[in-house]
Amino acid sequence: MIDLVAAELLKLRSTRTALGLLIAAVLVGLAPAVLILIFAPAEVLEDETVGGFGFLVTGVTVVPLLGLVFGILSMTNEYRHGTITYSYLVTPRRARVIAVKLFVCFGVGIVVLALVGSLVTLTAIIGYEVRSLELETSFLFEDGVAETLALVLLAAGLMAALGVGLGALFRNQPATVAGTLIWALAGENIVVSLKPAVGQYLPFAALQQVVTGGVTVSTGAEVGLSRPEAFLVSLGYIAVVSIAAVYTTMRRDVT
Amino acid sequence: MPVVHVEHLSKRFGKRVLAVDDVSFALEKGSITGFLGPNGAGKTTTLRMIVDLVRPTAGSIAVFDGRYRDLPRPWTRVGALLDASGFHPGRSGANALGVVARASGIPAARVAEVLELVELEGAARRAVKGYSTGMRQRLALACVLLGDPDLLLLDEPANGLDPEGMRWLRTFLRARAAEGKTILVSSHVLAEVEQTVDDVLIISRGRLVARGPLASLDAGASPVVRLRSPQAELLQRHLEERGAAVNRLGDALAIRGPSAPEVGEAAHQCGAVLHELITERPSLEDLFLEIAGTRRPES
Ligand SMILES: Nc1ncnc2c1ncn2[C@@H]1O[C@H](COP(=O)(O)OP(=O)(O)O)[C@@H](O)[C@H]1O
Ligand SMILES: [Mg+2]
Repeated sequence: MIDLVAAELLKLRSTRTALGLLIAAVLVGLAPAVLILIFAPAEVLEDETVGGFGFLVTGVTVVPLLGLVFGILSMTNEYRHGTITYSYLVTPRRARVIAVKLFVCFGVGIVVLALVGSLVTLTAIIGYEVRSLELETSFLFEDGVAETLALVLLAAGLMAALGVGLGALFRNQPATVAGTLIWALAGENIVVSLKPAVGQYLPFAALQQVVTGGVTVSTGAEVGLSRPEAFLVSLGYIAVVSIAAVYTTMRRDVT
Repeated sequence: MPVVHVEHLSKRFGKRVLAVDDVSFALEKGSITGFLGPNGAGKTTTLRMIVDLVRPTAGSIAVFDGRYRDLPRPWTRVGALLDASGFHPGRSGANALGVVARASGIPAARVAEVLELVELEGAARRAVKGYSTGMRQRLALACVLLGDPDLLLLDEPANGLDPEGMRWLRTFLRARAAEGKTILVSSHVLAEVEQTVDDVLIISRGRLVARGPLASLDAGASPVVRLRSPQAELLQRHLEERGAAVNRLGDALAIRGPSAPEVGEAAHQCGAVLHELITERPSLEDLFLEIAGTRRPES
């Protein structure tokens, strides 16, 4: 198993896909933070209700979506370039190939979000220092924040893992990336706004709620799942997709 | 005990395509066998079934006495070249092999060794997308050798090689054979493997249609007798009455069945004048094409 993880990491290091997505994640996370730090008026940055910090991490919330794309690409690239043949020749127990990829992408999803989050925090500290503003950080040490942070990181890992499962299930790269993003960004939102009671249980809505804790519907009302609930629902989706992916992969011909 | 033992193997894709139809054969240790047949005959499907990439519809396969997927570290026992394009274009040759070595628990130092063996050490750090077809084919061969396996399954390794590459491949295969490896090498052109293999399996439309030592291929082949005669039509009828297969084009006849002396006597009997009479041995390639069913018996 350790050999397989090492091989998977070498796969990631030896092409530009992972590096490109990492750079994209850093840019997406940092760019809004930097812009806000430069242009936002002082009273916004020192606002205590939203917390200037709350604005700064807007970009970071997009990072798990990149993790999802990363998961899809790391699986579908194998089909696209035919390297799956070697993967299965070397490890004919296909469930292992998928499990290792799920595990590695899960880890990468967490590490990248933690990295981008830390970079944004560091940038914020520097930015506030430069503008001689007061950075309100006390809320970071309130009860439950550490737990929420952990759930958010895990959710980012799950997003990447979900990508692997979807990639293994559908194999076609452009269709899986496009289909998943359209569903995640548009499809579910429609359901959520029309029927929040159903929508809150949809996979990406659930993953989103791990971060936000509940959804805000058009009336402005807060409904939905608590963070731990949302996390469990997300976990359920990952389990179902992964099992379906392994089940179909074991039965499919590699030609 | 054979290294590979295939029994009554069949594969159906969907309802229509019967890609492999009741194929049985065994590969003995140290043998080099050519797996020949026209495109679409079922060679690739058979090879992929041996290494568990394609699930058989019926039949059984034993590789080293068991299923491929039950072999511990299979890449150290079996090397399969199935698709020379199975590399990520952006990955370097060395990294492509590195991934396979890592996953198989093969020491990383072995990568440089096999790259040297296929004379690719100079291109090892370059991305595969810059490789020529021949270089990719050699990279795939290097990959197959990573685990120093005893069994090599090579699907059309000569595809896309130039004459120099072909010569290189022949030398390469002979060297592996000299090491005592068991080799199954497929091709749709007999000439590609003719100088390398001892035995052949010929597959056509999913069925094995011939097998045995290469030398035995032409044993059952009937030569063609060709002649020219002003009375070609008369002679044709005379020969056909005696059961020969005759094709006529103007004053020329091509005859299968009787030998040249028998044809000469027949001509004498019916009073036909002969202007020319020759016996033509079909080439091995002709035979192969005939057995494999891509060409009708020559007219
Ligand atoms: N995945 C597949 N789906 C449907 N038909 C297939 C598939 N793979 C191969 N075939 C068909 O099976 C037959 C044998 O193909 P193949 O084994 O590739 O032959 P060969 O390697 O001898 O050229 C062909 O008719 C081919 O079209
Ligand atoms: Mg083929």
